[in-house]
Amino acid sequence: MSEREEQPANRLRKELPEEQPPGRPPVTDAPAGEAPQGDQPEPVAPTGRERLRKGLWPPRLTRAQLIVALLLFGLGFGLAVQVASNSESDGALRGARQEDLVRILDELDDRTQRLEDEKQGLEKQRDELENSSDQAEEARKQTQEKERQLGILAGTVAAQGPGITVTVEDTKGAVEADMLLDAIQELRAAGAEAIQVNGVRVVAGTYLADTDKSVSVDGNKINAPYRFQVIGKPQDLEPALNIPGGVVQTLEKEQATVTVEQSSKIVVDALRAAERPDYARSSSQ
Amino acid sequence: MIAVLGLVVGVVAGLLVRPEVPAAVEPYLPIAVVAALDAVFGGLRAMLDGIFDDKVFVVSFLSNVVVAALIVFLGDKLGVGAQLSTGVVVVLGIRIFSNAAAIRRHVFRA
Repeated sequence: MSEREEQPANRLRKELPEEQPPGRPPVTDAPAGEAPQGDQPEPVAPTGRERLRKGLWPPRLTRAQLIVALLLFGLGFGLAVQVASNSESDGALRGARQEDLVRILDELDDRTQRLEDEKQGLEKQRDELENSSDQAEEARKQTQEKERQLGILAGTVAAQGPGITVTVEDTKGAVEADMLLDAIQELRAAGAEAIQVNGVRVVAGTYLADTDKSVSVDGNKINAPYRFQVIGKPQDLEPALNIPGGVVQTLEKEQATVTVEQSSKIVVDALRAAERPDYARSSSQ
Repeated sequence: MIAVLGLVVGVVAGLLVRPEVPAAVEPYLPIAVVAALDAVFGGLRAMLDGIFDDKVFVVSFLSNVVVAALIVFLGDKLGVGAQLSTGVVVVLGIRIFSNAAAIRRHVFRA
């Protein structure tokens, strides 16, 4: 498309740049692009269409053609590269300007921050819930433990542990309730934690009474031999019974035979029903 | 004809080779392409007007590209790169349109 420069009619315009400043009206903004009106009316100027046809065919290998081809090669190359790089998957960010990228980055940072805060809040909530459930579990465990301990005192659960077995043989029927009560008091004073006598659990409210020829514990009649099973520290319990003028001596004075036997495992499995007090209420709540 | 072949070969080569655009050149390539397009349209119009000159075309082509890139570079340095490149594209677009209109009159006589 460049061979027109050999045309003598155009020689005078040859040095003008092709995109013309407004100072050259015929070339740049002639409303009707057909030039003949102004500059070159005298020769029979070929029309643009003819020039185009001539430029395209036949192809001529001139210096101008080669240079323009080289430049257009560069243009096409750049065009294709730009289009290719722009249509890549990350094209949106690739073509973005620096300030846009900074803005996008800021927005992402804000978003990350918000999500991070939200995550922390949720984690905190989760921890609190876990803690509270842990605490509830712990409280439940403690309550159960306390219930067991209190159950041992109240006689509602069975107990086992080291302790002693005291057997009182009374062939003559001389043993009375107050002697047994003395024995129980002495054992309690020595730190007995759970006591049963002949299958009856002895608790705080236990009473002993004399019934004809025998003794009743909480209304249950028991007969000799009286067999105490006591959980506590054996080294404390046995001396407590054996002290001079103590339970053993008193009973032996009544012709009863007392046997004290230490054991590492005493089972107190007589139970009492848990009774709700009629009047007393817990004041701890 | 050879020039048109050059354009076609350039496009094909660009699509086939797919070179990584260097990061330093990346912001300027689109503007440079638009500026070169403007130069090409100007050259085409000049050819139809019968006033085409290869030296002028080469100089205008190269200076268009360089000036466009320079403006964008300057705009980036001044912090108005986005606006300035938009302005460059608008101006070049207007020129391309007016050149295309002249070419149309030559080719279609309308």
